[in-house]
This record gives sequence, structure tokens and C-alpha cells, in this order.
Amino acid sequence: MAKMENINFGIDLGTTNSGIGKFQAGKVTIFKNPVGFKDTLPSVIAYRNNRILVGDKAREMTTINPDQVFSSFKRKMGSAHLYQVPDSCETKTAIDFSALILKELLGFITEEKPNAAVITIPASFDTIQSNATKLAGEAAGIHEVLLLQEPIAACLAYANVQNIAIDELKNWLVYDFGGGTFDVALVSIDNRELKVIDHEGNNFLGGLDIDHLVLEKLLCPALEKELQEENLWKQMVNGENTAYSKLFFELLYRAEEAKKELSIKEEAFVEIEIAERYIEILITRKDFNQLIHPKVDETIKLTKHLLEKNNIKNSEVDRIILVGGTTYIPYIRTCLSQVFDTHVDATIDPTTAIILGAGYYAGTKNKQTTVTKEALPATLKNVKLAYEVNSKDNEELLTGIVDQDFSGYYRVTRTDGGFDSGIIAFHSKFNEFLKLVPKTTNIFNVKILDKYHTVVYENEHIGINHGIYNISGQPLPNDICLEIDDTLGTTYLEQVFRKGDILPLNKKLYKTISKTILKASGEKLIINIVEGKSDTSPASNLCIGYLEIDSEDLPSNLLKGTDIEIDFDISESRDLTVNIYIGAITLEINQVFNASAKQVSAVKITQELEKVLVELENIYDDEFEMADVPKLEELRVEVIELLKLLIDIDGDLLTDKIYNIDERKRKAFQAYDHLIRRRNVVAEIEEYQAQKNEIREELLLKPNPKIEHAFNNITKNEIKFLNSNQSSIIRSKIRELQKIANEIYYQNDQSYIELFYYYAIKPIEDYTDENQAKKIMNNGQKAIDKENYAELKAIITSLYHLLKVKPKNFFEDQNGTLGLK
Amino acid sequence: MKDIITQLFEIENKIRPEDFQAFKRNFQRIYHELEQEGYTVINPIGQPYDERDVAIEANISNEDKRALVITKVLKPIIYKSEGGIRTLIQKAVVIVG
Repeated sequence: MAKMENINFGIDLGTTNSGIGKFQAGKVTIFKNPVGFKDTLPSVIAYRNNRILVGDKAREMTTINPDQVFSSFKRKMGSAHLYQVPDSCETKTAIDFSALILKELLGFITEEKPNAAVITIPASFDTIQSNATKLAGEAAGIHEVLLLQEPIAACLAYANVQNIAIDELKNWLVYDFGGGTFDVALVSIDNRELKVIDHEGNNFLGGLDIDHLVLEKLLCPALEKELQEENLWKQMVNGENTAYSKLFFELLYRAEEAKKELSIKEEAFVEIEIAERYIEILITRKDFNQLIHPKVDETIKLTKHLLEKNNIKNSEVDRIILVGGTTYIPYIRTCLSQVFDTHVDATIDPTTAIILGAGYYAGTKNKQTTVTKEALPATLKNVKLAYEVNSKDNEELLTGIVDQDFSGYYRVTRTDGGFDSGIIAFHSKFNEFLKLVPKTTNIFNVKILDKYHTVVYENEHIGINHGIYNISGQPLPNDICLEIDDTLGTTYLEQVFRKGDILPLNKKLYKTISKTILKASGEKLIINIVEGKSDTSPASNLCIGYLEIDSEDLPSNLLKGTDIEIDFDISESRDLTVNIYIGAITLEINQVFNASAKQVSAVKITQELEKVLVELENIYDDEFEMADVPKLEELRVEVIELLKLLIDIDGDLLTDKIYNIDERKRKAFQAYDHLIRRRNVVAEIEEYQAQKNEIREELLLKPNPKIEHAFNNITKNEIKFLNSNQSSIIRSKIRELQKIANEIYYQNDQSYIELFYYYAIKPIEDYTDENQAKKIMNNGQKAIDKENYAELKAIITSLYHLLKVKPKNFFEDQNGTLGLK
Repeated sequence: MKDIITQLFEIENKIRPEDFQAFKRNFQRIYHELEQEGYTVINPIGQPYDERDVAIEANISNEDKRALVITKVLKPIIYKSEGGIRTLIQKAVVIVG
């Protein structure tokens, strides 16, 4: 037996805005417009520069090219009215335009497009208008269209979302105050059926009228005073003064924003900039309510009339449900409640209520016809798309060639929702300049549609990189890195530019000072820029920029944690310019490093070699493979020899021996990386994983949201840092995990027994007052016997304070050697 | 966050050009930090009007023979990148003339 399927898709085909939703898992999900990500689509079509624009961009054209913009065509549904398409002899009907809107809505769905849907219609639609809506649905590829009156959809939305049980016959009023129209419907509702008894409305009353009122009656008089102008409103709307025409649109936007703000707050400030003067106007909710009172009254009169003509008393109205964005205004809700003395239900978003209701209805209706899965329209083959993958221009040309005698349309959108070419007719070849977001990758979606606007080709993976590469420049042969301190007392490399990046290059890094450098303390802040591989030891790379800032040269003390800006600039000829700015002490240094001059510091080389020698002397040969043991010894000898040579050339400013040492040092460090560092990184990754698993198990046994949050924060980018080959970064992460493990450990009171014994077994002479310490220790033992952990914790704190030398905090950040992290 | 960015944008635009130098580094730094958090902020001032640019909500005062240009930006474009996917989270509101 064939499985009965429900329709599930609900569409609000509105006069001003439309939207689409789907019933799934007991609720309705509204699809967002992939262009701009809004829940709704303005029901507007425009023709401009041979493009068909649908939605927001089409509505934008209303003021400048009204003859090319088609809106409110829903009002002409079912009539013989023909719209003339600009610059062509084509004519369109309201059905054609509605079909375009429906197709656009279907485009919001990323999954398979539906062949059946519920479409809402106004309560006032007659049979011809209803049939016209069905035809529009069919033209959009929806073979089975079920119509639903808008007030019924609204009732369904409210009833379903709140799960209202309706056991007896009730009257609901659907008060629909949208952007451009007002409708009110009386609906009878019981557990079996919903019926629109009667309705009233005004097609030319909406939120926009309110915005105009705010502008004309509140903003204009205030501005007239400030600008010493008269008849500002008239000057703005008569179109004679361009500056005032522009001001009109800005003020209209500000008026709408103020209206929204007044729905939440008691007063709103409107700030307008005119000729570099900022004028502030205060609007109170009281002023606003007084202003809109006549408009609200108009809707109330229509509602009263609706009830009177149907002999329904206010007391017989169970509730008033709200639809349309204008009903967000609190005054409307208060007025309705006071005048009709009934419950005003505003529990769901009034702008999407109709979509929700249509979706709920669709979720209960079986598809009547068994539509055999229609064969997809012949898919276009041999479509060739040509474009540059890398670009420095703001726009990049895309050429599409269809290897057939094809006529149809194309459309290109950017997947971030910021670009839409519109629908454009073409014959076998098209060219489109694609707008690029700077300094990033731009992904485009290209669709080709047949003459019925059905998609016959789609490519979602057109990627164009902006600014990342310059086609004409030379690529960097190696990474350029800055050496920085970690929190463990060692250093590592941070990549500034990547191998393959094209010259010239510029980048700004924001770092912090990692140790306090007091003026005249003899300490130095070291900026070391190297060329090589970012995932290796700093000392194995070639130094291309080295700068020491002596404490004597500082205008004042440089404190740990101070921000430092470092701006790197590499010219086509590979000259490196570094600009250092420390705002806190107003220090700015600009230094050019010439590519031909090697940068070497004997002191720094010595420190690097001494550090690695300590490490080499503390490793055990048996931890290495047999073949590597002689290489380790060779490395040890080389390091010692280099240190000797450095002593020998002390004071030698003439010969280039230091460069030779530097070269040998880099080679030695490359060998070190190969033999030891790589092995260390593997061990550190293993340690990280073990620590992570241990914490995860602990959290499973004893969940703690705070610790879990911290844990997730540490591990969230682990693919990146575990593959960084940077020992410093992995070790920092291990330490952060250890910190968490420590926190988990001390969640358990019994852990403090162990901590107490740590203090108790210390030699008594380690304490400043031995008698006092003994006494406290005795009390500690008693607290353990009594399982009094609160007392035990206090005793441990007392012992800590009595210690002559405080134990080292394992988790404390180490001071850096360079002074920069 | 987009409201905070819009407020920041408004403050930046309120500073007179002759005073701006004193704040330049601070704004650069703030925008850098925002970028680290995945926000890209674009001010389309001076760009020619393009009906394909759906990241912009334009209020067009008059289309005469001159090319249409964005003359005032009330809100900037804001994109948010998460998991390698960039999404428009605020359209610019602009005056075109």
C-alpha cells in the first residue's frame, strides 16, 4: 500500500510580504530567505537593467522607477488586468507575478522542492480570485494547491502553538494590522471547525502611515525649530529640493526605528545629522500614542462595525488574536483590551503567524493526488563556467557558456546572502561581474533556469578569493614569523605571512608585554622576525629582523600585560618595515630591515645554544632509536663547539665569523627539530589526549556545567592546535587541562586530606612559628577524624600562611624571555 | 553584537575628521578584535548603487542622469563567520542619491 503523505508545506502569499514554512516533528519551521536571511519576502517584482528582481531589491526601486516595479498585485488576482513589462512588448498578469513570488519562496527550501502546498488567501477572495491563486501555485510547480483563509491560518497558529483546548463554540477576532493594509475577521471556532463569519478591512491603512505621521507631526516640527525652516514636510515631499528629499528617507528610517523602540521603552531618542550637526529629538510613548490614536480608532471602528453587523456583543468575543507587524505597538494592544474588554492574545510573532498557521494546516492534510515523482527537467550538460579563482578587484567576471542552442535565464547568488544578480535572460552565453567581499573567500551559487523558470543546472561551489593573492607579484619562498614567549618560559613562532603569499604584504599584530621591564633595569624587549617554517624551533630559522628595545630607551616603566601593536610591511623587493607602537607609554618605533643585511645577535645565539645544551644533557640515550644515538652526540658536540666559538669572537666586529656561527647554529637546530622536537610533539599530543579523556570520564561521572564549559573552550579548536606542530601551544593546552583536572580533584572534600598531609610532612623548621604549626597540625588530624572538611580547609590555609617559602604555583604563567607574547 | 557594532560605527562617524587621528588606532584595534571574533564590518559609503548588492537596503531619493552613489550610511554591513561559513547578519541601511 502506498504510504499516505502529508502536504506539510504552508505558504503565506501576502499582499505586502510572503513566507514559507514546513510542518515537521510537531512544529512549523519557517524557511529563511537565503538572500538576506529574513523570514519574509516582500511581494514585489521589478525590472531593471534587463534583470528581474524579486523581493527587497525590487521594493527599493519603488521611489525611483515606479513604472518598473510591480507590487500589491494580489489585489488584481483573478482580474483581466495586464501589466506592461518595461522595455519589452511582454505583458504579465497578477498570476504570473504571484507565480514568480512562489518560485522565489520555493527557492528558500534547500531540500527537495514540494509538489503540494497550502497557500493562504484573504477572507475576501471570491471563487475567481481563489482559482487564480491555485493557477499561480501550479505555474510555480506546485501541482496540488490547498487554499486556506488567512484568518483561519492565524487562529490555527495561535491554537496550535499554545495548545488551546476548544470544547465549546467560541468567537475569535483576528486583528490583522500589517505594513500596508488592515483586516479584521470574526471567526467561529470549536473543536471540529473554524469558519470566517465576516470580515472588514481598509486596503490603505498600515504601519507605513504611522511612520509618516511620526515624521510629519513629531520630527518635522522639532527640526523646523532647530533649522529655522518652515513647511519642512512639504519641502521634503514635493521633490524640489534634493537635499531634503534625501533627508526624507533618512527621517523615515529613523521614524520606523523610533516606533520599534517605543514598543519596548517609554521614550526614544531620534538623532539626525544635518550638515555635521547632530540634532537629538526625544519622543515619548505618550506623544506617540496621542499621535496614532486616530489611526487606531479607525481600526477599532471597523472592528466594532464588524461585531455589530453580526450581532455579536463584546462579551461574546473569547479573544482577539494579533497578526501583522504594526500590532507590536503596545497602545494598540491596550486599546483593544479596553474597548472590547476581552483577552488580547499576543503570544506569537504576528509577522509570521499566517505562515505558521498554513504550516500546521498542511501538517494535517494528506496529499490527495498520488503525484508520481516527476522526471526532472532535462538537466543541462556541458555548462562551462570561466572565472579567476584569485582576484584583487572588487568584482570578478564570470562567464557561462552552454554548449547547446539554449535560451533561458541565469541567476548568481553569494552564499553569505549579500549578492544576488537577479534573474536574467540569456542565449547560450552570459557574462556577470560578481561583487566580492574584500580579503576573504567568496562562494557563489550559479543557477540556470529554463524558460519556465525551472532550475536545469546548479553549481554551488564557485569560490573566488579576494585579496589573498595578487596574480602579478612574487610569492614568498618561506613563512615569515615573529618569535613570541609562551606562558611556560619558552618561545615559539607565530606566523605573520605564509609561504606562497604574494608580495607586497602588510599585516598588523596585536600582542601583549610578557614581563615587566622597569626603566633602567637593563632588561630588553626583543622583537625577532625570522624566515623559515612556522612549525619549527625559532632558532632553526633565518633572522631577517632583530630589534632590541633597551629599558633605558623607554619613556617610562613597561608593565606586563601592556598592549603592543606591531605592523609588518614587506615590499616587492623584500625590505621589511616594522612599526612598533605601545600606546600606554606613547612609544613608536619605525625600523626598516634591508633584505641584504643579515640580522644577528651574539647574545641571543648564546642563550639559545645554552638552553638547548641543558636539554641535550638531560635526555637519556635509551629513549631514542639506536641509529639516532650517534647523531645526538654529534649535536651535543656541535653545540658546545659553537658556544666556545662565541666566546672566542667576543668583541670581533670586523670579521663575518658571527654569520658563520649563526649558519651552523641554524643547522644544529634543524637537526634538533628532526631528532627531538618532533618526537616531543608526538608525546605531548599523547599526553593531551590522555588528560582530555581523563577529564571527560570525570565529567561523565560527576557533571559540572561550569567545568564542562571551560573544558569545551579549551578543546574546541583542537584539530588546529594539535596539527600546529607547535610544542608550546600543545603544552599550554595540556596545562589548561591540568588546571581543570585539579579543579575537579578538589571538588571532592577528601582530596583535602591529601593536601593536609602534604603540609604536615614538611620539616617543622619550614614554618615561621613551629609551635603554632604543630598545634594547627594536631587540630587538622582531629578535623580529619571528625570528617570536618570545612575546618580542615581553614587549617590548610593557616599552614600555608605559616610557611616561610610558599609552594610554587604550578599553574602560574612564567615570565617571558623576549618580553612579548 | 550587531547593535554594539552599529553603535561603534555611529560613534566613529560622529568624530570630526580633524579629530579622527587621535582615535584611529583604537578603532583599528576594535575592528581587528571583531574580526577575530568572526565579524566583518563593511562601510559602503561612496560606492555606486548596485541593485545586485542585497547586503544593502537602499533608500533612493532621486534617479537623475548622474550615476547613483551611496551618500550616507546609517547602518554598516555586518557578516559573521562561523565554522568557515560567512553569513550576512545585518544589511546596511543607506541613502542613495
